[in-house]
Amino acid sequence: MDSQPTLPVPISYISGRYLLFSIDAVTYLRREHNICGVLIGTLPQIPQQNVFLGLPLELMPEEARVLVDRDVACIVDEAKAHDGMKSLLEEDRRQYLRELESQGLHASRILSDRKDQQREQALKKLGEKVKAKAAKAADNASASSAQKDESSSVVDIFDDGSNSASRSANMTPESKLAMAITPATSYPPLPQPTSSSRILSKPEVPLSYPLFAHLHSQGYFLSPGLRFGCQYVAYPGDPLRFHSHFLVVSAEWDQNIDLMDIINGGRLGTGVKKGFLLGGPEKTREDVDSEAERVESVRAFSIEWAGM
Amino acid sequence: MADADEEAIRATTTEAPQIETDLSDETQDFRLLNHLNFLSDTSSASLPRRGEKDFEPNPTEFQADVLSASRGAMHNALAHPRIHHPKTQVVGIYAPDGPTPPPQAMVDEKGLGVSSDYCVCVPVPKGQYFKTIGQADRWNRVWLLPEEAMYLMERGSLDIKWPRELSGIDADDVNEPLIPMSLQAAYACLLGRSGLTLERYTVFTGLRRLGYAVVRASGWDDNAQAEDSKNEINKHAYTEPQQRGPGLAGIIGRCFAWLDDPFGTSSTAAGPIVGCGIHRNYTDVYRKLATIPWYDPAKAETRDPLDTDAPFRVIFHVYKPSTPIKKSAWPTPDFRIAVVNAREQTSIPTLAQIGALLESTPLDPPRGEKMDRLMYMRLRHGYRNVVLAVVDQGVTSFLRISDAAFGKEKLYENKGPPTGPKRGGNFRPKKR
Amino acid sequence: MSAIRSEQPCPEPSALSKLIEAADASGNPFSATTLQTLHNLQHQHLWTSLQIHDISTALEASETPSKSPITSSPDDTTLTLISGIPPHRVYTHPDEQLYMLEQGLREDDLKPERLFVIPTAQGQAWSLRRIAAVFDAMSDVQADETAGDGNTAKAEQLVKYYERREKARKTTEWGGKRVLLAMVDKGMGGEGTVVYYVVQEGEVKPRQN
Repeated sequence: MDSQPTLPVPISYISGRYLLFSIDAVTYLRREHNICGVLIGTLPQIPQQNVFLGLPLELMPEEARVLVDRDVACIVDEAKAHDGMKSLLEEDRRQYLRELESQGLHASRILSDRKDQQREQALKKLGEKVKAKAAKAADNASASSAQKDESSSVVDIFDDGSNSASRSANMTPESKLAMAITPATSYPPLPQPTSSSRILSKPEVPLSYPLFAHLHSQGYFLSPGLRFGCQYVAYPGDPLRFHSHFLVVSAEWDQNIDLMDIINGGRLGTGVKKGFLLGGPEKTREDVDSEAERVESVRAFSIEWAGM
Repeated sequence: MADADEEAIRATTTEAPQIETDLSDETQDFRLLNHLNFLSDTSSASLPRRGEKDFEPNPTEFQADVLSASRGAMHNALAHPRIHHPKTQVVGIYAPDGPTPPPQAMVDEKGLGVSSDYCVCVPVPKGQYFKTIGQADRWNRVWLLPEEAMYLMERGSLDIKWPRELSGIDADDVNEPLIPMSLQAAYACLLGRSGLTLERYTVFTGLRRLGYAVVRASGWDDNAQAEDSKNEINKHAYTEPQQRGPGLAGIIGRCFAWLDDPFGTSSTAAGPIVGCGIHRNYTDVYRKLATIPWYDPAKAETRDPLDTDAPFRVIFHVYKPSTPIKKSAWPTPDFRIAVVNAREQTSIPTLAQIGALLESTPLDPPRGEKMDRLMYMRLRHGYRNVVLAVVDQGVTSFLRISDAAFGKEKLYENKGPPTGPKRGGNFRPKKR
Repeated sequence: MSAIRSEQPCPEPSALSKLIEAADASGNPFSATTLQTLHNLQHQHLWTSLQIHDISTALEASETPSKSPITSSPDDTTLTLISGIPPHRVYTHPDEQLYMLEQGLREDDLKPERLFVIPTAQGQAWSLRRIAAVFDAMSDVQADETAGDGNTAKAEQLVKYYERREKARKTTEWGGKRVLLAMVDKGMGGEGTVVYYVVQEGEVKPRQN
C-alpha cells in the first residue's frame, strides 16, 4: 500500500479531462500530496451502486496543475500515446500476453484454492455442529420432532456441500484455465511515456486557481463544491476520515461581490457547521508573469453567522 | 447460525465475478473476491467506512491508524482486478472506423444498418446486458456505443480487444491472439468519440449502475438543428384572465358573465378593480381580481427537441428498471435528461433556455387519483418536466425542472377543504 | 393620487428616521446605513460605548489611481466602522472555548471587549479589496479595552487566560483579526432588518455549536 510510483506520475489527458488509472498513483498522491480527485468508475466487485466508486480518478485541472508545478506529475496525451500500440514489437506483445496469462492462471488458482478452503471450513463447522447436536440428542432422550427436522436439514446442506465438491472436482481441468484479465492501465505493454512529444504543457486553470493552490499549500484537501453550493469544499484532513471545514468561493480582487452572496454563503455554511471562505489573489493575471505569484498574493476571509 | 453457514456454502458454489442481485449478496461477493486480490496484499477486506468522521486531525496514533486502515481498505477495493471466467467471458473488438461487415461477408447497398457511432463489436453476445444495450447487425453481432462498451468493461462484464491493425498484428495472421484493451486504453480511444464527453459518460454510468436503461436521445448531437426552427414567443400559452374557453360554451359563458357583471372590468380605469356591481360571493370577486395574464403550460406548443441550444437539450432517455423494453421499439421514456458541465456553463439557465427545453418535452400532465386529490402534488409534477444532470468534475447533481401551472389551480373555486400538507387552519371533517 | 394622500394624516416618523434626518441636517457625514446599524446595535442588541470611525482613507490608499472605480454613490467612497461593547461575547474560537473550559472559565467571567462592525446595505458593491482595506485599517483604530470588574475568585485563571490569549493573538491560532459584517435589508420591500456575520482574516475553522 505504501508503494511509491516512479515520478513524475503520468496524468492521462483524455478528451479534455485529467484522469488517473494507476492505483499506486492514486494512493500515493492522496497520501503524500493531499490530492483526492473524484472516483468516477465502476467497482467490478460491486457494480450496482454509486456509494463506492472505482478507477479512474478524475482530477480537477487545479489538482493536476498543483502536481505538475510540484514536479510530481506530468500530463500525457493518452490518445496519442496509445497510437504506440501499432508499433508494438511482436516479441513485446507475446511477452505481455504471457504475463497476462500467468496472472490469469494465478487468479484461477487463488479462486479455486479459496473455494476449497472455504468449503472445507464450512464443512468442518457443519460437521462439528452435527456432532454436537448428535451428542445433545443422545443426552436428551426426548428428541422433539422439531429438532429432528433441523438436523435433517443440516444433513441436506451437507449433501449439497459434497455435491458441489464433486462438481468442482469434475471442473478441475477447466478451472485451471486462465482467467482473462482487463488491466487497469496500458503500461505495459506501452513503454512509459517519457518522450516529450506526448507530454503536454501545464493544465489551463480557472481564475480560482490561486485560492485553490493557497489552501492546498496550507494542508487542506479540496473537492469540487457544486453540490454544496460553492466552488470547493475544503477538508482539514483526508475526506475519508474528516468532515469539511469550509465552503470555498473565489473572487478576483476588484470583482464586484454582491453582499447577498456573502450572507447566503455564511448562512449556508453555518447551517451545516462549516465556515464560508471567501478569498482570492490581490494580483490580477495582467499584473504577474506566473500563477505562482498570484498564489503568493492570496488573502482569504472566513465568514460565519454571528448568531445575533 | 445455520444461516451463516448456508451462505458460506452458497458463496463457494457461485461463480464469482457475476451475479449481483441484492445488496447483502453483493457484500458477500465482495469479501470473497477481495481475497482473490492478487495484485495487492490480501489482508483486509472491508469497504472504506463512511459516516464516522472526526472534526479535525489530531496527533493521536489512534487517528492515524484508523486513517491508514481506511486508506488501505480503499486501496484494496480499487485494486480489485477485472477478470473474466473463460466460461462466461464476453469479448468485444474495438472498431476504430465504426461498424464493418464480417471478413467474408458481402455488403450490399443496404449496408450494415448500424450507425457509425457504434465502435465496439461483440461477435458472440451473451448475458443479460444486451437486452438494453447495443444494436444487432444482420450477422447477429451486437455493436456497442462507446459509453456502452466502456460501462460494460468497467463493471467487468466485457473483455474488449485491440483490433489486429492497431496492435501491430498482420491482418492475415488470424491465429495470433488479440491483446486485451486496458481500462485506460478504452477511455483513451472511446471517450470523445461521437460527442461522448466525460460528463455525459459519468451521468450514463451513474444511472446504469442504479439499474436504469439509458439511451441517447435525438438531441445528442449538439449541432443537429431542427428542420424549421420556430423561435418566436409562444403567445398562445399566455392565458387572458377573463377567457372562458373557445367555442359556444365560451360565448354563452361570456354572455352570462356580462349578465352577472354589467359594470365589469371595462370600468376598471375609473373605479375599483372589481367594478361597482353587487357581489354575492367571493368567487366572483376573485375572478375579477385576476387581472394578470398567466402562463398555461398545457397550451404551450410542443417544440422540436432539436430546436434547443446545448447544453439545455435532452440528450438521454432514461427508463426505470421496471419499464418493459424492446430495443426495436423504445417506449416513451420515464425521464428525459440534459447534461450540463458546471465548469463550462457557470450560470443557471435563462428563462428562454429552460422554456425551450421544457417545450421540447411532451405534455405530461398530472394524472391519477392521487394527483387529482392533492394540489401540491399536481403543482410539483407540472405539465412538462425534464431532469438536469449538472456535473462538477465528476460529481453529479440531478435537478428536476417542471412547468407548474399555478394559474390552473384557482384556490377560490376550491369548494372542499384545503388539500396538501397544511398545518394551521385545517377544518377537514373527520371521517368516521 | 396626491390629492387623496394629502387628506390622510402622515404617520409620525420613526425614531430611526428622526435620527437619520437630524444627522443629515447637522451635516453629519455618516451615511444613513451607518446610523441605522448604530441604532440597531444600541437598541436591539444593547451595545454600549458605541463609536463611529471614518476609515475612508484606508480604502483610497489601497486603490491605485488607475484602477479606482469612480462611482457616484457616497456609500462606495466613504467607509465607516462602528465599534462598541456587546452585552455578551459574540464570538469565541473553538480552541479558545476548549481552553476556557479547561480553566473553568465562563464567557461572563471575562471583561467585555470592544468589537468592530462594518455597516453595509443590501445592494452595495463590495469587493475583496474593500474587505481587505477594512481589515488593514483596523490596526490603526485602537480598541480601548474597558477594565473588567475583576472576578476575584478566578483571578488566577483569568491572568493565565489573558496571557494565553495574548500569545494566541500573535500566532492567530484563536482566529485572526475579526469584525462583524452588518447588512441592512434595504432592497425592494426591505424592512430594515439588520443581519450580522463574523468575518475573520484567514482560514479559521468553524464553530461546532
